[in-house]
Amino acid sequence: MKKILLTTLLAAGYLALPSGASAQDCTTKIGAVLPTSVDWGRPIAETAQFAVDQVNEAGGAAGCKIDMVLRDTQVDPKVGVDAAKALVDLDGVDVLLGAVSSGVSMPILTSVTVPGDVMQMSCCSSSTAFTKLAEEGKTDGLWFRTFATTAVQSAMGAKIARDKGYKSIAILYKNDDWGQDMARLLAADFKAAGVDVTASVAINDGQPSYRAEVTEALASQPEALYLALYPNEGSSAVREWLSLGGTQDMILANSLKSDEFRDKVGLQYLGKALGTDTASPRVASADAFVEAYKKRFDSEPNGPGLANSYDAAMIALLAMEAAGADASGAEIAAAVPKVTDPKGTPITADTAGFASAKDVLAGGGTVMYQGATGNVRFDKNGDVSAPAVIWSFTEDGIKEDEYVSLEQVDQFIASLK
Amino acid sequence: MIQQLVDGVLVGSFLSLGAIGLTLVMHILRFANFSHAELLSIGAYVALVFDKLFEALLPVFATKIGPLSMDWALVLALFASIGITALSAVVIDRLVFARVREKGGELSMVFASFGMALIIRNVIGLIFGLQSVLYSDEIAFAMVLSRDPLLLVKPDQVFVLIAALAIMVGLHFVLSRTTFGFALRAVAENPALAQIHGVNLKRMIMIVWLLGGGLAAAAGVFYGLSYQISPVMGRDLVLPIFAATIVGGIGSVYGAVLGGFVVGIASNIALSILPSGYSPSVPFLMILLVLLIRPHGLFGEARA
Repeated sequence: MKKILLTTLLAAGYLALPSGASAQDCTTKIGAVLPTSVDWGRPIAETAQFAVDQVNEAGGAAGCKIDMVLRDTQVDPKVGVDAAKALVDLDGVDVLLGAVSSGVSMPILTSVTVPGDVMQMSCCSSSTAFTKLAEEGKTDGLWFRTFATTAVQSAMGAKIARDKGYKSIAILYKNDDWGQDMARLLAADFKAAGVDVTASVAINDGQPSYRAEVTEALASQPEALYLALYPNEGSSAVREWLSLGGTQDMILANSLKSDEFRDKVGLQYLGKALGTDTASPRVASADAFVEAYKKRFDSEPNGPGLANSYDAAMIALLAMEAAGADASGAEIAAAVPKVTDPKGTPITADTAGFASAKDVLAGGGTVMYQGATGNVRFDKNGDVSAPAVIWSFTEDGIKEDEYVSLEQVDQFIASLK
Repeated sequence: MIQQLVDGVLVGSFLSLGAIGLTLVMHILRFANFSHAELLSIGAYVALVFDKLFEALLPVFATKIGPLSMDWALVLALFASIGITALSAVVIDRLVFARVREKGGELSMVFASFGMALIIRNVIGLIFGLQSVLYSDEIAFAMVLSRDPLLLVKPDQVFVLIAALAIMVGLHFVLSRTTFGFALRAVAENPALAQIHGVNLKRMIMIVWLLGGGLAAAAGVFYGLSYQISPVMGRDLVLPIFAATIVGGIGSVYGAVLGGFVVGIASNIALSILPSGYSPSVPFLMILLVLLIRPHGLFGEARA
């Protein structure tokens, strides 16, 4: 509660700042449902507010000042839905930012924003369940996210397998939503990359032994092993795998990018293991965001989802500007391609960029937003792609072996289809 | 299939050790002790502390024993752990269960044991951290016993099986050949009648806890040697151990031994039929099946 109060006070403080050129009398509310009560959630909300402040300095969006009403989800679907409902029904917002966890964003999408005709833009939900929902036409085009789906991770796994020339691979995956999602995607991607999946075995948390599961994977005699596990059961399963004479040719999901995993398994056995992860793009606009963030908050934007949160807020506000005054949620959602148009006028992610976007949009043009996560472009399901890195373990941590740019990632994913 | 069978026997060996203590406590004190598996955690962590201590004090003992991943320090630590865990079982009984037993009913005891389990688990987590740890960071590679069908066995597992069987045989002789063994079985049969015949019930209860705690410590160390030690290992093991106890029949030491192996083998073989995602359900299914077909377990007897 204290944190919410604090954030609200901060927000109120920014609004009271003397603002730029044209001061309007009207205020448009947008909603944000984010887990402000957890330590990594508050910076995500503050970053979204940072984008709103910059837009207000440029005179607001669609002719009005923007007031971001922030509510806490407590990472709880029930609390999140209540918060979103209050924002939509009581505050009458047409744009909702959030939530972070897929498990919270999903019920909000299906029971609040879609029925209420409100555009929802999430910074951080990665589940492919949203892609599926969008393909079935159940999101009404109201759903967007600036966070890459697990599909990037899975495609990079297939890329490593192909580059390394593995003919066959076994998959061990965590038996939860994320792991099952990964296993499904991996099976398809490996197949498309010409790698035979010999076994795909679910690993449950906290089992006395993973011997039987590992034996099952081992019996299929794969050339390599893919691990979509968390460090705890991951190290346990891998030790079992190695002790039974399994191959050290391993591909690891980003969840295993941890010292705990390296120390528990032992670096001497991980020499041939390669991991994948999504990365921030190495472009000027991303660096500019880091600089702006440091100036504003006096710290590095190291927390999860900060760049994504900034872009989610910025793109939502640009779309509001493009859709014009009194636009409905669907109209704002329909305006998103106008501000992320690869052929549009490039604009930067700051006050000046927003001001110039206003001019271009007023003249009937389109803009290409160059944001904290690069040139964001949504596909027809509201998904974005992201650059990736391939990493490996070293004595003193993790080193990057290869940076795969957004174009290369997109190209590779396209080559799999 | 043969691999699953062998693995099942190896898993069964430490389930059996845990189940023996649980079945005695459940029978003599007449309550389902959900904190029993936490004694395994206590045993495993006490051994960890002593293992590091002995290794530091007496570097001679830090050498590995043959092909095993354990060193002599851990062998000494095992004995220290058996003693300390046995004592802590008695202390827990004195502090909590004995008091609840005097005032509350069977259900109060069950709830008290739940509470105890949470307290022990979290205290261990507070002291040692929530991450899992290992006695030895070395990976003990398996021996290939046969290529076709593929049969792999780790030296550690063979050691665990032999040690567990030795402990069980020892226990068998104590129960069947000594006055103490007769007294214990008499108390289990009928506490009131046993007291009339001059058996000191209070002392017997203490010995049951010592026995249960000691066996649990050995099981905990063997589990840690085979896999890894973590503060939640008790939570993960409580269900298989209960299943072993119920399958064997509450109160029967031999039933508990057999139950441990049955549950171990069944869980492993079930994986070759069921998708691995369903493996945690196997102990539940075993409990259900046994309760439906033989409500008193394989060796248990109906009790008034």
